[in-house]
Amino acid sequence: MYNIIEVKNLTKQYGDTVAVNGISFGVEKGEVFGILGPNGAGKTTTLEMIEGLRKPDGGSIFINGIDALKEADRIKEIIGVQLQATSIYDDIRVNEAVALFGSYYKKSIASRQVLAEVSLIDKSHSRVNALSGGQKQRLNIGLALVNDPEVLFLDEPTTGLDPQARHNIWSIVERLRDRSKTIILTTHYIEEAEQLCGRVAIIDRGKIIAVNSPGDLINNAGLDTSIEFSTAQELNGLSQNLPEIRKIANGATNKYTINTKAVSRVLRDITNLCYENNVELENISVRKTTLEDVFLAMTGRKLRE
Amino acid sequence: MAILLRQTFIEIKLFLRRRSELLWTLAFPIMLMVLFGLIYGDSRWTGMDMRSVDYLLPGIIVMGAMMTGIIRTSIGFVGEREKGIYRRLSLTPLKKQIIICSQLIQHYLVIIVQTVLLMIVGVMAFKIDITGNQLLFWITLSVGALCFMSIGFALTGLIKTVRSATPINQMAYFILMFLGGLFFPNSMLPKVVGHIANYLPSTQVSDALRAIMYQGAGFGDIWQHLLVMVGWIAGCLIISIKFFRWE
Repeated sequence: MYNIIEVKNLTKQYGDTVAVNGISFGVEKGEVFGILGPNGAGKTTTLEMIEGLRKPDGGSIFINGIDALKEADRIKEIIGVQLQATSIYDDIRVNEAVALFGSYYKKSIASRQVLAEVSLIDKSHSRVNALSGGQKQRLNIGLALVNDPEVLFLDEPTTGLDPQARHNIWSIVERLRDRSKTIILTTHYIEEAEQLCGRVAIIDRGKIIAVNSPGDLINNAGLDTSIEFSTAQELNGLSQNLPEIRKIANGATNKYTINTKAVSRVLRDITNLCYENNVELENISVRKTTLEDVFLAMTGRKLRE
Repeated sequence: MAILLRQTFIEIKLFLRRRSELLWTLAFPIMLMVLFGLIYGDSRWTGMDMRSVDYLLPGIIVMGAMMTGIIRTSIGFVGEREKGIYRRLSLTPLKKQIIICSQLIQHYLVIIVQTVLLMIVGVMAFKIDITGNQLLFWITLSVGALCFMSIGFALTGLIKTVRSATPINQMAYFILMFLGGLFFPNSMLPKVVGHIANYLPSTQVSDALRAIMYQGAGFGDIWQHLLVMVGWIAGCLIISIKFFRWE
């Protein structure tokens, strides 16, 4: 697979603030590429420079071999964009909006097909201002699909949506992914990145700090798995019996947290210890490492604060 | 061209859908005309060579043209700009000139319809006798409409948000309405004010229309009015070029 998007040394400065500080990455044809980072990290600025909405101060952008900074008109024909805060005419009907946007392009796909793609067939005669937040967002994605774009840009597609609406958007993206549509999306939701993206670029303060598949990002980070459990009575001898444990935090009411890489052995030791001491194990959970932990480990800060 | 037609068609369709705006735009000037007609009947203001209703018809036509040309043009544009509609459209191959032109055509058509309705009411209900050169009348009105729309677009560059759009528009609109000789001659204004007011586009259009409608004025009689309006259009274009914003 070749890179359909090639971004090199992209920079953007607003006054004294460097919003994007020398970002480079490539997006392969047919993959869902995520840009994950906290608010203000430079995700949207990066995306909007690639889309042609903002002019970078430096760097180069190629989409499908076309120099995006020189041939904006050719780029417009082959990309589809869902903006973060976007809106169209209030009083237009859903099917009219899709047909109107389709008419702007040299090549477009049938309105009905677009509406089916984003599950809005039954809303096709509704006015845009009568749609719910999730439906509006689906329409925005639909409008980004009218020209059957080579690359689809989704800027925080599920921000501000309720869980059900979020899952609807996710299944739309998954359907598109299964048909090998190239998608580049920004998000500050861990689950979204893990669920949808083949590869994720973690971005912080205008710089990419890591690019990889979510699985490899987690594995390569070499982070401990955290095991939490609580017992009916106090459990003695934990630290003697589990010497390799890096940290044991003893909270209130016999609650314990252990961070370890040796998950199976620690679990065996915990159950053995409880059994030998005749102490009942009340609760136990093994929390898998997420991109949130990876981000925290890399930057010392949380994704959402 | 096909794109322009389609975009204009959508603009008109959406305008017809906004019922309250539609009603206000078309019905308010007519209501005002009927009201004045009933109040004044055949009476004349002292020293006037025409009836008061005769005087008022072109005034209300111009008022309607300003409602659409200035207020709807600028508030509509600022509203859509604030919603990010143009930002979204700028990502499509649609040319920006098409957006502007489709709006101009939509507003222009509304002004024509408004004017025709007002003239029908004037002639049928109040026996207003319109004798002048029809072609010159529509040309003058069109230049006036273009002038008001250019004021409307110039304002969009000076206005930041929809919130401030209404008061700024009202101010411009009321000045042009009351100092434009629409409802009473500018000779009734204090001398200095009246002298300045004579150069307002509203005064220029309404005086020219009145002269064409009732005094059989030809191009030779009103070209200076047209020239002043063209001057306003040029001035507004310069402001627009300097301050116009899509975002």
